[in-house]
Amino acid sequence: MKIAQELRVGNVFMLENEPHVVLRTEFVKSGRNSSMVKLKYKKLLKEGRGEFTYRADEKFDTVTLDKKEVTYSYYADPMYVFMDAEYNQYEVEAENMDNAIKYLEPDMPCEVVFYNDKAISVELPTTLIRVVEYTEPAVKGDTSSGKVLKNAKINDLLEVQVPLFVNTGDKIEIDTRTDEYKSRA
Amino acid sequence: MPAASPSATATSGALPLVPRCDLFCTVVDNFGDIGVCWRLARQLVREHGWSVRLWVDDLASFRHLRPDLDPALARQRCDGVDVRRWDADFGPISEANAPGDVVIEGFACHLPKAYLHAMHARKKAGNAPVWINLEYLSAENWVDDFHLQKSLHPQFGLVKTIFMPGFTERTGGLIRERELFSRREAFLASAGLRNAWWQRAVGLPAAPQGALVVSLFAYENAALPALLTQWAQSTTPIVCLVPQGRIAPAVGEWFGRHALTAGESAARGALTVHGLPFVAQNDFDALLWACDLNFVRGEDSFVRAQWAAKPFVWHIYPQAENAHHVKLDAFLERYLAHSSPADTPLGGDAREALRTFWHLWNGYAGTPPNWTALALALPELNRHAQRWASTQASLPDLARQLASFVENQVK
Repeated sequence: MKIAQELRVGNVFMLENEPHVVLRTEFVKSGRNSSMVKLKYKKLLKEGRGEFTYRADEKFDTVTLDKKEVTYSYYADPMYVFMDAEYNQYEVEAENMDNAIKYLEPDMPCEVVFYNDKAISVELPTTLIRVVEYTEPAVKGDTSSGKVLKNAKINDLLEVQVPLFVNTGDKIEIDTRTDEYKSRA
Repeated sequence: MPAASPSATATSGALPLVPRCDLFCTVVDNFGDIGVCWRLARQLVREHGWSVRLWVDDLASFRHLRPDLDPALARQRCDGVDVRRWDADFGPISEANAPGDVVIEGFACHLPKAYLHAMHARKKAGNAPVWINLEYLSAENWVDDFHLQKSLHPQFGLVKTIFMPGFTERTGGLIRERELFSRREAFLASAGLRNAWWQRAVGLPAAPQGALVVSLFAYENAALPALLTQWAQSTTPIVCLVPQGRIAPAVGEWFGRHALTAGESAARGALTVHGLPFVAQNDFDALLWACDLNFVRGEDSFVRAQWAAKPFVWHIYPQAENAHHVKLDAFLERYLAHSSPADTPLGGDAREALRTFWHLWNGYAGTPPNWTALALALPELNRHAQRWASTQASLPDLARQLASFVENQVK
């Protein structure tokens, strides 16, 4: 059991007997007003995201999820298949893969997440290195006009904003939680 | 747990002609919580035709605002409101205490468990109540973003909506009764009404001529002796009306007395003080209208002072670690920045005089507040207070917004 104020990004809490994952929290407290927490969430087992605002002392049942280190093997529509060190295979439904799909590469290490012994999703390392497939060359004067970022295509599913000095073929670090450029690798 | 029987008139997806509302109020301390809830309850009955049950855990405090209330009664009717004593044991749910169509938690109090279960039963019957958490008033910017935000009860799936009173059109507004301004204008226009008030409240035949009249309602305040000294040394006579309350004993002590009780007067230099009885809520507006400057405290009197359209000084409810300073500064910023294209902006001197005075009255520093600077700014602050009240009055009031919201929820 946790109160709303204690919930952190990634925690799983129960709403009407359904697990929800915390995506973001915003806390306010002032004067005599209640402390309040804005919770952005996604449903763990179904499609659906949203936002609720709770009093900070509202109590929630929380769930500790099991995780296992695996590598990505292959896609067998509609399941993504992963394998652990003992060659056990785990299937995750495509609709539960969320953001991870954009980063998947063969033999890529990640973690499969289990709820009630069922593989329900995949967690990636928070930072991954990827090669820029294409980005426009920087044009002289872009910086002075205030344009300091540009689009860079990483693959068919992923585009990130990068500084002007990044070129096609460069390796960059990306924050997988936000799809934001971190640095040049 | 017996299930609550849904309102006979309520059906899923429609609001009954006379919505039944349960308004819960915990009196934390003082009178702000019950003051606001009582005003809201009456207004929902009078102006919106609701049937309101007001559940109050401390009828003795409530009685200060409404002297004819009997704290011993578990149930009584006042101004059309069904006032209920909210005992620690709420008792089993029956026809007499089953949830209404609208449930309002005044200032985030916690509903009785049995009542919450009964709300769940209504939901399962397809007739969930509209559940509202009415919060304290604040001028902070975040309020706009939190007003009307929703949550889902973790176990019962009941939707609860936050209602934030405030000063912008994106908030729930302020409590303002329909006839408030006409009552104020009538009082200000009629010497007979004003004289009758002075006779009744202070025992004087009329307002003192040539004096600045001040009301003083505040929590205990370390800045008080220095202010009284400045008032005594003022070149303009000052008449100060002090209702019984937390600051009245300190006023008496400054005059070398044990206390300043109701009906007592005292004078030193230019200052004359009159002790008043604790002012019942119905009479409080007239006190504000009768004065040139009002010292108010908490939330309810703070709002009434704004509707009085007179200069005022707010003593905000003090809290640990100065948590209240943010709230006070947010209001000051909004209040002092206010001007419409047709307005003459408030001058820098007047703005600074008010800001500094409020800060020092609220203990921001140990320096005494500068009465001379504030007194000089009063004419300008008076015009500003009128503009502010007029602008705020162009926004819908809290009860109206609440009623509209509820109607929209069940359409």
